[in-house]
Amino acid sequence: MFASVLTCLNRGLEGRIVEVQVDVATGGARFNLVGLADAGVKEARERVRSAIRNSRLPFPQTRLTVNLAPVELRKEGAGFDLPVAVAISLAVAGRRPPPGAAFIGELGLDGSVRHADGLLVGARALRTHGVEVLFCSPADAEEASLARGLTVMPAPDLASLMGHLAGGEPLAPWSGEAPRPPPEPAAEDDLAEVHGQEAARRALELAAAGGHHLLLSGSPGAGKTMLARCLAGILPPLTLEEAVEVAQVRSILGELDGQPLRWLRPFRAPHHSISTPGLVGGGSGLGSPGEISRADHGVLFLDELAEFQAGALQALRQPLEAGRVTITRSRGSVCFPARFTLVAATNPCPCGWLGDDRRPCHCPQGTIERYQRSLSGPLLDRIDLRVAVTRPPLAALSRGAGAEPSAAVRRRVIAARAVQEGRQGCLNARLRPSRLREVAPLGPAHRMLERWAEERGLTARGFHRAWRVARTAADLDGDAAIAERHVLEALGYRLPEHVRAF
Amino acid sequence: MSARSDPSLNARGRWPPPEGRRVAIVGSRRPTPYGEAVAERLAGDLAAAGVVVVSGLARGIDSAAHRGALDGGGVTVAVLGTGVDVVYPAENAALAAEIVERGGALVSEFPDGTPPRRGHFPRRNWTMAAISDLVVVVEAAEGSGALITAEAALSLNRDVMAVPGSVFSPLSVGTHQLLRDGAGLVQNARDVLSALGDGLEVLDDPLRPPARLGMNAATRRDGLLVHLSDTLPTTAAEVARRLGLGFAEALARLTALELEGSAGRRGEGYIRLIRRE
Repeated sequence: MFASVLTCLNRGLEGRIVEVQVDVATGGARFNLVGLADAGVKEARERVRSAIRNSRLPFPQTRLTVNLAPVELRKEGAGFDLPVAVAISLAVAGRRPPPGAAFIGELGLDGSVRHADGLLVGARALRTHGVEVLFCSPADAEEASLARGLTVMPAPDLASLMGHLAGGEPLAPWSGEAPRPPPEPAAEDDLAEVHGQEAARRALELAAAGGHHLLLSGSPGAGKTMLARCLAGILPPLTLEEAVEVAQVRSILGELDGQPLRWLRPFRAPHHSISTPGLVGGGSGLGSPGEISRADHGVLFLDELAEFQAGALQALRQPLEAGRVTITRSRGSVCFPARFTLVAATNPCPCGWLGDDRRPCHCPQGTIERYQRSLSGPLLDRIDLRVAVTRPPLAALSRGAGAEPSAAVRRRVIAARAVQEGRQGCLNARLRPSRLREVAPLGPAHRMLERWAEERGLTARGFHRAWRVARTAADLDGDAAIAERHVLEALGYRLPEHVRAF
Repeated sequence: MSARSDPSLNARGRWPPPEGRRVAIVGSRRPTPYGEAVAERLAGDLAAAGVVVVSGLARGIDSAAHRGALDGGGVTVAVLGTGVDVVYPAENAALAAEIVERGGALVSEFPDGTPPRRGHFPRRNWTMAAISDLVVVVEAAEGSGALITAEAALSLNRDVMAVPGSVFSPLSVGTHQLLRDGAGLVQNARDVLSALGDGLEVLDDPLRPPARLGMNAATRRDGLLVHLSDTLPTTAAEVARRLGLGFAEALARLTALELEGSAGRRGEGYIRLIRRE
């Protein structure tokens, strides 16, 4: 007696179709599970046996062989429980699965169908592969429905699922509404609550409009964290596709928490003690996404940049450039998205009070130089905007009302992004020098920037950084041409001279 | 003024220097641009008048004084807190070489090879006073090493003079205290020369504002410039607030001033730069 059903294995954000083949043959009672299953998948045997018995379904008393094909893929995770149990039950009953159906889910010993991590990734891969019906846990139904174009059949337990397949009482397909972005998703932190901070407000707007990475520098308590949080709220709302992509990363991490779709842009603020794998991804097995992938389409905030491990910051470079991270292992490599906007924050010196008029800085000159040097280098090379954050005077706080709300800033950001999309199909921060010359000529403002480069010294990278930011400033102004004032403003966001990256 | 003595010192270069008056110019290692400009100009004018400028080769005022003296075509002596074969801070290696090359000297009471040690610098400061006829302090915060030099000078019966600074600046605390305690006021090189008793009178008309040190702040630039101090940095946001400008415009105009050399960025803010004619 033979049966086979389809399921899916996730490798990063890529789903691979797996066929679960079951053969019930004569011979002594044995349960073999083959097909490069790892230890966790091997445990499926125990769960599946109990689940089938406790669902009052027959379990073969003879030789049972389960093969997970293709064999060369190492099988990980608990999502194989359901397809294996279904395939066994079908084989025992001598039936075929319905055409175009697939199964993903973990089983409880009582036969209940439980949540499986990464279901959304699997659902999307199965849909692409031509699968039409996906059976999964009711808890996962909404998540699975995000794959769109797939009939999702929530099955509370193995018994009712097998009843449905045997033509008994039918299960009802999931019938939630198609998700639609809310018109104006409200961010938790709004710029209306930020008083003063004109410099940082402007820099945030430029960062949001042009996709530029941003460095905030200032004393403790100046409000750097609050400002970084506000960036997520002035970025355009996620599109449905982007929201699903964000959900996919949370899905494989098992972090959807019953709320598959969030329209707010992710904001991630890992502590500076984070390990390199924690930040960029990696870890055991083929590796799981790190903070930079959790921040995909959103904001990655690194407070106290100088305190992060040098290795972790080094590892950020490639993802910053490529918008994704590739983790390579002997068993293969996986790729996770990392299209985030970086907001880094730093104190001006180790004690934090250099240049602050409220407290003296007691750091020796050498320590300050070492501290600031530790910030320099290739990471800062990829940050277009740098701005000082100073605590606003009390008067600005008590003036209260008057600060522009995030929604108003976001409208300008959306307009400026539309201009960039129409002109070059990407954000200004992503323009390489050759494209920059082509689509964003400096015109007469070129002389201004060249004069600066000659008289004040500017690396080629610094030159292009200022150029890109100037283009964004012009886009926010709605100007087709870059003016001198845009270049001058952009130069105002350069790194301080002692940080030798600019 | 008591006769100065030359204690036995290790030297690199010409030591003792040519006959003539010696003035030590000392001050903060982290001066404001104002202080740096004063030290440089004062040293230059004194050197041009034949005075040997003595200082400690430290960052800030010391370096400005040596540079100014060399620019003024004079001879300058650096008193080190290390061996004369060790230049500290290392960034001043070129300056040290030029001092020797141009007829001056690096001197030290410490044997060759002595590395920088915290405890050595007060003695270096004392030596500076001992080999000079007069000490001028330019910008010294409370507890600054320059005040040790001033104290040593007093105990050695040398004249002490000080350059006034901004009352907003913490770097004026030490110098203003010296002025209150009776140190001579320095507004230009002639003030120093007349204190040296070289028969030079102060020729400024007392009814007119003093010509100071001959330094003029830039004029007729962007009107925004008058809102910048030459000691206390003002942030671009503060400039925008005071003038009722948008932040982007304020930043662009400040950067334009930077480009033409009238303003400079210090820490998180901007200051007006004092330009020599």
